[in-house]
This record gives sequence, C-alpha cells and structure tokens, in this order.
Amino acid sequence: MSSAVVTRTSARGLRVDVRLFGIAVVIAAAVGYLMYTGLQGTAASYFVTVSELQAKAASVDGRRVRVGGDVVAGSIVRGGPGEPIRFRISDGTNELEVVYAGVLPDIFAEGRHVIVEGLYRTGQPIQADSVLTQCPSRFESVPTTATS
Amino acid sequence: MAHLGSGALILALILAIYGIGASLLGARRRIPELLLSGYRATYAVAFLVAVALIALVVSFLRHDFRLAYVAGRSSRDMPLHYVIAAFYGGQEGSLLYWTLVASGLGALALYLHRRSDRALLPYMNATLLSVLTFLLLVLTVVSSPFRLLPVTPPDGAGLNPLLRDPGMMAHPPFLLSGYASFTVPFAFGMAALITGRLGSDWLRAIRRWTLLAWALLGLGLLIGAWWAYHVLGWGGYWGWDPVENLALLPWLTSTAFLHSVIVQERRGMLKVWNLALLLATFALSIFGTFIVRSGMLSSVHAFAVSRIGHWFLTFLALVLIVGIGLLVYRLPGLQSERQIESVTSREAGFLFNNLLFTAMAFAVFWGTTFPLFSELFWETRISVGPPFYNRVVGPLLLVLLLLMAIGPLLAWRRTDVRLLLRNVRWPATAGIGVGLVGLVLFSRPWAAIAYAVTVFAVGVTLQEFWRGTLARRRNARENVLVAAWELLRRNNRRYGGYLVHLAMLLMAVGIIASNAFQLERQFVLRPGEQGTIGPYTVVYRGLEDRRTADAEIVAAQVDIYRGQRYAGTVESFRFFYRNYEDQPTARMGITLVGMDDVYVVLDRWEDDGTASLRVYVNPLVIWIWIGGVVFVLGTVTLFWPQPVPALARVPQSVAGATSEA
Repeated sequence: MSSAVVTRTSARGLRVDVRLFGIAVVIAAAVGYLMYTGLQGTAASYFVTVSELQAKAASVDGRRVRVGGDVVAGSIVRGGPGEPIRFRISDGTNELEVVYAGVLPDIFAEGRHVIVEGLYRTGQPIQADSVLTQCPSRFESVPTTATS
Repeated sequence: MAHLGSGALILALILAIYGIGASLLGARRRIPELLLSGYRATYAVAFLVAVALIALVVSFLRHDFRLAYVAGRSSRDMPLHYVIAAFYGGQEGSLLYWTLVASGLGALALYLHRRSDRALLPYMNATLLSVLTFLLLVLTVVSSPFRLLPVTPPDGAGLNPLLRDPGMMAHPPFLLSGYASFTVPFAFGMAALITGRLGSDWLRAIRRWTLLAWALLGLGLLIGAWWAYHVLGWGGYWGWDPVENLALLPWLTSTAFLHSVIVQERRGMLKVWNLALLLATFALSIFGTFIVRSGMLSSVHAFAVSRIGHWFLTFLALVLIVGIGLLVYRLPGLQSERQIESVTSREAGFLFNNLLFTAMAFAVFWGTTFPLFSELFWETRISVGPPFYNRVVGPLLLVLLLLMAIGPLLAWRRTDVRLLLRNVRWPATAGIGVGLVGLVLFSRPWAAIAYAVTVFAVGVTLQEFWRGTLARRRNARENVLVAAWELLRRNNRRYGGYLVHLAMLLMAVGIIASNAFQLERQFVLRPGEQGTIGPYTVVYRGLEDRRTADAEIVAAQVDIYRGQRYAGTVESFRFFYRNYEDQPTARMGITLVGMDDVYVVLDRWEDDGTASLRVYVNPLVIWIWIGGVVFVLGTVTLFWPQPVPALARVPQSVAGATSEA
C-alpha cells in the first residue's frame, strides 16, 4: 500500500472516529436523560422507617415512600374477601397505619418485617400498592427441636 | 459423612494453596514437573470438592439431622427429589455447588487445553486456584455445610415452601453454574494479561467457555422467570427484583462480550474493551453471589444475612484491583490493529451493540444499587421500582432490536448503503405495515412501534436464513431441507447466533404483549357465581380440602369460558406445609386458551366457601417459553463441532483486510 492511501485512510478514520464518538455521546446522553427522568417520577420512592417518615412528613407529603417496619400484633383487620386489608407497622417507637388491597405475600403475618410502598399523605393511612415481606429465616429456617 | 465432607474441604484448601505456589514457581523457574504437579492439584481439588458434595447429598438422603444444614432444610416427609434438591437450598450448600462447578469446569479446561495453550495454562491455573482458595476458605472457616448441632433433632424443619416446586429442581443449579462458569474465561483472561500473550490464542480458548457460562446463566434466568410466573402470583415473570437484576448483569455484559469478541477475532480491534468486559462479567458474578447474602438490598430473595458478606466484598475488591491493575499495565500491548473505517460497517454495528448492552447493564446496576448510594450521599434511601427500569431499559431494548435487524446486513469495513436499503426492502415494508395496523388497532402506540421493529427484525433474520439456504441449494445442489440443515451445521456460529436472535424476538413478542395488554380483575364470588374479564367468563365452583404427606391444601376450582364456549378448568391452590403453617404458599391455576394465559390466584376465603380470586389474562406469554426452547436450540447449534473449520474461517473481507495491514 502506498503512503498516500494510508494518509487518506487515517484522515477519514479520524472523521469516522468523531462520528462514532458523537453517536456514543448521544446514546450516553439518552440513557442519562432516561435515568434522570425515571428518578423524578413515581418510579422512585423514599426508603424510610416509620419514625423518619413522621419526622419528615412535610417533605415527603404526596410522594411515594417505601416504609419498613414490623406488623403490630393484633392490628391486622382482614375484612371479608374483596375488602382491603388494614394493619399497622411499627419500628419500635412509632406506628403507621397501612391499607392494602392486593394479594398478600405468602409469608405475611404478625410480627413479620414488611416493606410497604405507596403514596404518602400526611395524617392518612398509607394506601400501599405493594407489600414485600421479609423475614430473616426466609430461606434459612431454624430447626425446631420440639417437633415430633 | 460430616467428617469426610469437612475433611475433604480442608484438604482441598491446602492443595489449592499448594497448587497456586507450584504453578507460579513452575512457570517462573520453568520446571515442567512442578507445573504438572500444579495441574494435578487442581484435578485433586475438583475431586475432593465432589467428594464433599456427595457426602452432603448422602447426609440428606440418610436424614442425618446432626448436621445443622440438613436439619434446617429437609425433613423425613419431604419427597425424595426435594430432599436431594435441598442441598443447594441454603447458603453453604449453594456455595459448595458453586465451588464444584468452578473447580470441575476449571479442571476440564486444563485437561482440554493441555496441548493447545501451554503458555497460558500455569497462570490460568493459578487464577483458578486463587478463586477456589477463597471459596474453600469461606466454606471451611465461615460457613461450613458440615457444622454439627449440639443436640440432634428427631426431624428436620423441611425446605421452605416457596422452594418446593419443580422450578427449584432447575433454576438454582443453572443460575449458580452460570455464575460459577465465568471463572474459566476469567482465568484465561488473567493468564493472557499476566503473560502478555494477548494475541488470538487466548480468545480462541475462551470463546466456548464464555458461551457455556452465558448459556447456563441465560437458561437459569429463563427458568427463574418461569418459576416466578407459576409460584409468586402477581401475574408476571420478571419483577425487577434486585436479585434478578444482579443475575441479569453478568448476562448482559457477557452478551456484549460474545458480540465484540468477533470484532477482535476478525479485525483485531476492541482488545482492551473485551478484557474489561470479561473482568466486569466475573466481578458481577461474584457481586451477584455475594450481595444476595449480604442483606444490603431488600428483595424477595431475602437470604439470611450473614458474615460472609465482608469476605465477598474483600474478594471482589481484590479481583477488581488486580484485574484493572493488570489491564492498565498491559495497555501498550493492547493497541488496536486497525481503525473503524465507516459508521455503517459491521464493526461499528458491534460497537453500538456493546454500547447499548453496557448502557443497559449500567442502568440496571445503578437502579439496583441506588438505595445504597443515595443513602451514602444524601442520607436517604431512595429505591426505584419497575417503572424506572421499564422506562430506561424499554427504549434501549427497542433500539437494540432495531440494531439486531440491521446488524447482520452490515459488511465488514464498509457497507454499500444502497445495497443495504435494497436488502431491507421487504422486511421493512412488513414492519411498517404491522406498525400502521397496530397504531389503528392498539390502544398503546408504543406497542405498535415495538411490534413494527420486532417484525422488521424477524423479517431480516428469516431472509438471511432463506438466502443462505438458497445459495447452498444452488451451489451444493441440495434440496431445501438438507441445505438448511447444512447451513446450520457448517456455519454454526453465524446461523446459531441468528437462531438465538430469533429466540429473543419470539420472547419480545410475548413480553410486549403481556406488558401492554395484560388484564387484571379481583372477584369475590360464592360457589356457583361467575365474573367476566375481557372475553372470558370465570365460574367459581367451590373450595376443596386435600392432604399430602407434608401439607394441607385448599383448592379452588374455576371453570373458564371464552364467550359461551367452555375452555377448561383450573385449580388454584394454597399449600399449608407442616412447620410453615403461617406461610400459606400459593400455586397458581394457569390455563392456556388460544394464545392467552388465564391466570387465577386464590387470595382469601371464608368458611362458607366465598372466595376472593384475582384473575389475570396474560396474552402471548407462551411465546416467551417458546422463545426459551429456541434459545436452547440456538445455543446447542453454537456449540456444534465444526466439521471443516479451516474452510469456514476464511471469509473474503478479512483476506482483503490483511493485505492492507
């Protein structure tokens, strides 16, 4: 190959590189934009404990929150089939009322740690659209020595 | 058995450490005997780990409840297959399984490459054994499956009900072995970096291993989706749960790698990038294995929080420091041999494919770890849900599908745009046609656009198959079927890849439909009453109590009618397993009517038989599972041994390119 050809190739190569870089920047910018707007809308929710929620009630009013707490014993009101279930969750000091109309996860019970997610309005129970149960012994149950 | 198992693990740990030393010293001082002894150490480690695993399985079979691990996961009344599957039902056992797959495949790789890649092997072996040393250390010191209980219970607690499902037999083994198999390509990559032999030998060595890991992980993810769909009862198959996301990450990066590695093979470009992807894939596999057990993210897969989190974090940091350090050190040797000459070239197409895959992986990673980072920087945990992922990943997937359509038509170096346009003529027409019809019929414009792109991509892929077949039929004078078969067999890398593309497109059809057109209704019905959802009528017949060896079952029977025509009966269950009575486990009733899944969840019920049922109509979900079958066929094709490798590997464009260089 002659040197003239090589120079021409590399000059064009530079132009191509600039274009490729431009496209890469466009893709990165688009992804950045999508991620940014994704966080603005209802997709993001504040992860708080019950006490934190009550402390910051004003700043999260009307936003989605994700609250973790233990289901208070005796607080579960199941209602009839089709009615929403009501219960309270607690972080030890404060309690929060929850209303949930969906199908409860399999391991929902008193005393279990749950994470509820929904729109928060000051002074109203949380209208949860998701209840996630979590218990430390989920996949690691302790053998009960007394079973027989 | 417990002593045999833990003894085997300790011996394996010692041998692994010895093997690292032998390999490194042997390579440095050029002592073949020492090298050989290092390889044998790996074989012995694999053997000993297998012994430990067998010891564990035998303990399960013999109901040896002296072992804490056995007592915590099995019981006498469990069916045999779940007793066996229970060995990977917890942290210790699944790590042992991970170790077995990594050591077994590593030993196999050493054996298979013993002649072809001599120079790489000592360092490959040392890397492999370092990973194994870490795992064995965790298994012997922190989290041993052979820990004994002070008091032997008469019976075990039994496996968690959610795990007592056929999905348990397949999902964890595939997913874990997918994770673990990335150790082999990683070890080869490290060996290439350490030795500085960054030519094409190491690439050839690892392509198949990466492919294997990628296929196993992909299959694991698919089976996981199938399992979630049948057990978790929210009518979907993918919930953007942190643990699912983390398993998806190495799959995304390895998919990117499998594409960009072609560019390096053919054109000698993207070398640094490929090594970085390989490193990222392995690091993400470790991250996925570890974060699951660290309790740092909340997930449906809430495994027990344990101390091994720190161990994994330290190991991950080590892997990244050593990997990135070596990569930077070798940068001068990793210069591209050529430049990309045109934006409409195949290499540029692969580059965009990689950008999209990594962008997707980045977005998913960011979303999954966002609670951790937001807590770190803004002191509030902010978590993101499915809407975030759908919003970010959805458009990226669409662009990726478009690229999947155009990519195969791009030529290396430069594409004649007029020729390209002529080639996409018919598929594009079909796509636009479907899109226009969709815009009129569908309530959601995005679904119409997504289908237009999907049809376009299917069109191009089928056209490629058709053209290849016609060309073979003409040249080799074969009939169409033989020609198509030979096409797959002889050009397996290309057409196997297209089969995988087709599989993805089939899944796309199902995913788009079930996201855009899912119906959901909650009914409260007394026995004999009915309700309607879309074109379907569900008639609730009543509840029935049943009993098995390990559970009490409540079953709701529901007849499904489409219009007036009877379409089938489903039963939706709640299982109350012994020891887990407060955890009534649902089993969905799902029936396929035409292309719709009618999906019935039994929610709550009263003593008089009144039940609350949640019914979903999920259109075209069956296409996802059909896509899964095609995915397996495609991967098998990719693995098919090449009958005449020399002939297939000299394409014309490369011959032209080498003369220039």
